[in-house]
Amino acid sequence: MGQQHTTARGADDPMPDLDRTAMGLLLEESQDVHRDAMAATADALDDLADRRDELQLDPDEARAVGDNRRAARRGLTFGGGLLAAAGAAAALDALAAAPAFAASTPDVQILQTAASLEVLAVGTYKTALTLPFIGGSAANPVVKAFAMTTMQQHQEHLAAFNAAVTRLGGTAQTTADPVLSKVVAAAVPGLTGPAPVVALALELEQGAAETYVADTAALGDATAKKLTASVMGVEAQHVAILLAVQALLAANAPQLIALPPDAASLPAAAGSIGFPNAFFPTDMARPATEGAS
Amino acid sequence: MKRRTRPQPTMAISEAELTSLTAELDELHHDVGMPAMQTALSRWTEDLRTSRRGFLIGAGAVVGGAVLAACGSSSSSSTTSSTAGGPGSGSATLTGDLAVAALAASLENLAVAAYGDVLTAAGAGKLGTVPPAVATFVTTVKGQHAQHAQAWNSAIMAAGHPAVTGPDKALVPTVDRAFAKVTDVTGAAKLALSLEDIAAATYQSAISAVTAPSSVKVAASIQPVEMQHAAILNFVLGQYPVPNAFSPLTGARTLADYRG
Repeated sequence: MGQQHTTARGADDPMPDLDRTAMGLLLEESQDVHRDAMAATADALDDLADRRDELQLDPDEARAVGDNRRAARRGLTFGGGLLAAAGAAAALDALAAAPAFAASTPDVQILQTAASLEVLAVGTYKTALTLPFIGGSAANPVVKAFAMTTMQQHQEHLAAFNAAVTRLGGTAQTTADPVLSKVVAAAVPGLTGPAPVVALALELEQGAAETYVADTAALGDATAKKLTASVMGVEAQHVAILLAVQALLAANAPQLIALPPDAASLPAAAGSIGFPNAFFPTDMARPATEGAS
Repeated sequence: MKRRTRPQPTMAISEAELTSLTAELDELHHDVGMPAMQTALSRWTEDLRTSRRGFLIGAGAVVGGAVLAACGSSSSSSTTSSTAGGPGSGSATLTGDLAVAALAASLENLAVAAYGDVLTAAGAGKLGTVPPAVATFVTTVKGQHAQHAQAWNSAIMAAGHPAVTGPDKALVPTVDRAFAKVTDVTGAAKLALSLEDIAAATYQSAISAVTAPSSVKVAASIQPVEMQHAAILNFVLGQYPVPNAFSPLTGARTLADYRG
């Protein structure tokens, strides 16, 4: 985590005034653990590079494998996709307009789509942090720190997914998911307070987490699977915290969004609001090729 | 979004309404999360019924690490061990994905027992004042771990083996020693966090270790939930709730050190 802050601060850094006191210390305390996790991910990516040649498929083979992967993902998806406002029709339109994927392996497509979700997440948090009630002086300090740190974590996910893409012979994805980008753009004018921002972030985090859960079963490459498995739970944690924050905002108790919280004052129901499912769903997982290039 | 009903963002709600919302989310879990997992589980159990051969991966395929290193060394014993009925006969001979399922079930049983111990201790006034939100957390998480155990056991039983009903015997003494030192909610939360971290890491390892796509799906549907439990525990403890951009494998249990 500390690594994030030393590498992310640039001239256009949206987080120059990060409170380095209580929250900052907590972030620094997790630096060692984070570094270990990063090392494991780096090892996985190195392994991907070593295996790049053997992972190349010819176009026909890629299409056949892709059909199988899509069938595997269908086994995990139920009903509508992320942000039903986008709708299945919009997703299908985007897919129809997308280029043929004969030159990319299914794993590359999945990883590119994952990268596209991360691009969108980074951009959305960056936009949110320009709002006074999220990134400004009027913001709850915990919400602000969460937004900054989460944006940075998504930036790291993006880098990792794109590293996996390029090492498998694909092109890094630097464009946001085309379907969800429209949804976010439509939502931005309505971001007039913390609650709608949290709701939008929640949608994106839930969609990303569900996509990655589905991807773990669909990915053929073992190392790409490991990488995705190491990210999905982190997005789920973002969901848990956002659900809790959302509930406290809805309960008109923003003062309870603190670290540590005043546990004695928390509503009883707050104890379970962050994890509504015993088994993480996948019905909002994005189509595997939606963000592929 | 159609699937989830969100609270109205600008309307303050009461405790009763928040409770109602939680109940609604719980209902959604049965409507959404459960069917997704059950589809994978049904596929897996169907495969098991038709093959009865299990899945072949070697012992130790789940990578390992330190286990509950942060737990204490007291020799006192808690009630956790009283629930250690041990796995059903024959589980020690399970191989492949079924061996991973047995390990997972034993971890879930351990979590159920540990959270049960916390509830018992809280009821006896041994943990001091227990905030209502903490009580709700423990009760809900205990129930989810029981569902996880049930899921793994349904696969094990579908293959003709008895269910794993006890906790991982290798971990019980360590957990008991740690629990004996717990005197308040903070201590209980720290112990719970250790167990959740171990479970999450083990599932993350299992995703790479198991061979059947359906068993990958089951493990993948549980790992994020354990991570969510850990996030809330971190938050309650005043620690940053999402400490890693990539979830670590530290503490993952191995088939090699699983003793049934």
